[in-house]
Amino acid sequence: MDNLYLFAMLAGTRVAVEASEVEAVVRLSDISPVPGMGAHVAGLSALRSRVLTVVDVAALIHGRATPAQERGLAIIANISGHSYGLMVESVSDICNVLEGELPLRGQIDPAWAPYARAIVEYDGMPWLLVPLARFIEGGGQQQAA
Amino acid sequence: MEGVPRTVAAPLFHVLLCGFNRLLTTSRHGAPARSLWGLVGMDELLQEFISETQETLEALAGEVVAWEADPSDRDRLDAIFRFFHTVKGSCGFLNLPRFERLSHAAEDVLSDIRAGERKADAGTVTAVLGLMDRIGELTDAIATGVALPSENDEFLIAALTAQTKMAEEAPMPAPVEGTESSGTGVAVSRQGGQSGPRTIRLPLTLIDQLMNGVSDMVLARNELSRKLRERSADPELDNVFERLSTCVADMRDVISKTRMQRVERLFAAIPRMVRDISRDLGKRIDLTLEGGDVEMDREMVEMVVDPLTHIVRNAIDHGIETPEQRRAAGKPETGSLRLEARQSGNQIVIVVSDDGRGIDTGRLVEKALAAGRISMENAARMSADEKLDLIFQAGLSTATQVTAISGRGVGMDVVRANVERIGGVIALDNHPGKGLTITLRVPLTLTIIPGLILRGGGQHFAIPRAAVVEILHDNNDMLEIGSVGGAKIATIRGIRHSMVDLEDVLGLAKVDQTGPRAIMVVRSATGIPFAMGVSAVDNHEELVIRPASPLVMATGLYAGMTLPDNGRPMLLLDAAGLANAARLPNILDDRAARQLKDEVDAQAGVEMVAALRFEEISGERRLLQLSLIERVEDIDAHLFGRSGGRVFARLEGRLVPVANGLVEFDREKVSALRLRDGSREACYPVAAVLDIVQMPLVPDMVAMHGLLSGVSVIDGVHLEVVNPFALFASLPDDPVFERSRGRCLLVDAEDGWTREILAPLLRQAGHDVMLGLPNDAAVDPQDVILCSNDDTAQAAGMMGCRVVRLRASPRAAGPQDASIYRYDQDGLMAALTGTRG
Repeated sequence: MDNLYLFAMLAGTRVAVEASEVEAVVRLSDISPVPGMGAHVAGLSALRSRVLTVVDVAALIHGRATPAQERGLAIIANISGHSYGLMVESVSDICNVLEGELPLRGQIDPAWAPYARAIVEYDGMPWLLVPLARFIEGGGQQQAA
Repeated sequence: MEGVPRTVAAPLFHVLLCGFNRLLTTSRHGAPARSLWGLVGMDELLQEFISETQETLEALAGEVVAWEADPSDRDRLDAIFRFFHTVKGSCGFLNLPRFERLSHAAEDVLSDIRAGERKADAGTVTAVLGLMDRIGELTDAIATGVALPSENDEFLIAALTAQTKMAEEAPMPAPVEGTESSGTGVAVSRQGGQSGPRTIRLPLTLIDQLMNGVSDMVLARNELSRKLRERSADPELDNVFERLSTCVADMRDVISKTRMQRVERLFAAIPRMVRDISRDLGKRIDLTLEGGDVEMDREMVEMVVDPLTHIVRNAIDHGIETPEQRRAAGKPETGSLRLEARQSGNQIVIVVSDDGRGIDTGRLVEKALAAGRISMENAARMSADEKLDLIFQAGLSTATQVTAISGRGVGMDVVRANVERIGGVIALDNHPGKGLTITLRVPLTLTIIPGLILRGGGQHFAIPRAAVVEILHDNNDMLEIGSVGGAKIATIRGIRHSMVDLEDVLGLAKVDQTGPRAIMVVRSATGIPFAMGVSAVDNHEELVIRPASPLVMATGLYAGMTLPDNGRPMLLLDAAGLANAARLPNILDDRAARQLKDEVDAQAGVEMVAALRFEEISGERRLLQLSLIERVEDIDAHLFGRSGGRVFARLEGRLVPVANGLVEFDREKVSALRLRDGSREACYPVAAVLDIVQMPLVPDMVAMHGLLSGVSVIDGVHLEVVNPFALFASLPDDPVFERSRGRCLLVDAEDGWTREILAPLLRQAGHDVMLGLPNDAAVDPQDVILCSNDDTAQAAGMMGCRVVRLRASPRAAGPQDASIYRYDQDGLMAALTGTRG
């Protein structure tokens, strides 16, 4: 497996995402809200003929919805057959990291604990490796709880 | 990930074009052919033609030899004929005149031989083989790009025609062995050559991708259209764009259809299967298939095939008896088996009904006991439905012996599992000794449904058209919206519905608007209707529904989503989900609940109620709360009479107490108000009915006196208000008629006939009538359910009470049709009483 990661800023935290999970990174235009949902579902957005469920990951972590004007980029991913857009603040790079993922160290913020799997060292800094599916499934659990 | 779809898409397109190719070669349309050139390079088609021809030539090589040895060999002749025919067809399209001339000549001769008009002598065979070889050479030449002199062609054709002439001069002694009459032979062979409608199997993902592609195209077109509008008008450009739009729209229609399949396909194998099985078992079965034109998702069709097959097998094997048994049971020897498909809201309903022996629940219980599944105690406590439900237990079957057809341990449990796996529901309506009806309800996923686009909270939503009973504007006179304790009640033509505003359910802010809001009466597949206020209902559209992501589905409010042309995703509302989310009570539940509401209304000081203004026989004008009055009718004066100190009117064979005690009238016909307080009824003769007015619920002057509760001022006139309480209290205590009977539940509450004709009739006959089913299934065993629809009948039958099924046609659908013609009053009444007896 190659250690290609996408590095992004998400809810004020540096995160790394396995590139194989990422289909694309797009700038979100129109988001149709889905009423009756928690703040972590920003709404639906059409990417050409596909309909993305846009997940406000920051809201999932902080419980605060990202204001509409600050919505920018989204990572497009296909998670169990459905297309999702996961909102991120910025994307810095896609890069190969030779040593791959390192085990988590230190005391991780409980807010991040359900989502982080490991650490990826890049550019002299640690980045949280987050499997994208956890945002969807974790979100569902929170919803159910 | 990206690469895969592309490589897969290519062969599909190729296949499509080959299909077109065949179509075009036979119809010989020049124009579409040219437009196709634009789509794919000629080389590609030519290459296809060359390789196909070469392949066929190779395969035919052996045949040719055999044909030479035995020119009367029919099969080989046919194979060779098909070859020439295909070549001729293809090269006409590819503009290869030499191929066409050669193959045409050969085809003519061969078709004569096939028709028996010519004998395939050695000379002809040789000439034909010469042409074949020539075609082979030409094909190779094209493949390698070498020119080939053409004079040889003429020589070869001449050789063949010379043979023809010779043959004509020397008439053949007898037609070739095995030839048919000339006309049909040719026709059949031509069909063979053109290869009929060809089908291919494609993975669904391909079609999905194609569909997405077309959707992208539509979006691009829309954007282009916007851009064009921004520019100055250019008629020429507009024309071209118009054409493109039409093409795209057509394309989208066609592609959408690829996913849909008529249920016919599901039914296709049934007749044969029924015939085979019934023959094996010595049973006679009359099979009826209905609703084959209903379309459902092809994936769904495939999922339903197995369960359906199993159900049909079961019906024949275990359900329908042998002719002898049927005769003994007093049934016609031929059993009837009926399959029906229809769309109901966002579901496809497939009903399989037979008139066989039904499920012997007693035996099921015995088996379950024997298998240790249930205890004796359990068995004793089980309701009929629970017993019936045992059929879905693995390994339980009522079949006494394992037969080759069914009963191999693969039972209804597997059927149910399969149906539920695709989100379906299976329901049984068992009539032991009379038959069994099995209803499968499967959802329509990713499919096209008629939908309404509505607005609420500044957003657009879609709702399945089938879920909407009616739409009114909130300024409509027929509609009255009351509110009490936060609950909204919409009264439409006297029927009260729980009302919610879509914005409230979804937690949206209401947007100010100038026009009236729209009130939709929404009914889900199972629930009772409720009124839903929305900003507006915009339009009606065919919607391609896609499944929404699980995150969104988790709300329970939505049934899916759709992407309209504007490119903004739209959510499809789930009527049942909305009702759940709003925690709506089911107001149709029972009368008591409604009356309770009335009282609540009164306490909350709801000012006005509708009242009937009428003139008493004695001349006073009075008011009576309208809700108590069932109707007004003219009654013959001689029907009124006194008995045991009480006054009654003889109506519909019963004695109905007369509320105001009048018995003598000076006219032949008397207008009478028919009153009902829920359980008791009364008759109130009046001089005339004036009109309906709004009166204060609490009279302006309360003066309880006899039948009167006070005086209200309506339009400046003082009118006495009749006290309904006193009115009913004054009625004889012991009912004239035993009323401990159950209610009549009219399932088809939204049906006009049921509401306007049946309900009044039943009420006249003294039955307690309720429109719709109580949602909490609180059905008393004494209740009788009336419906006109097999499916609801079956669902109703599950509730544990008797069902009377009505039919619109005077004639029974079959000897075992237990339904009653809906205008057969005697039959209906007998059925209602009989069901209780």
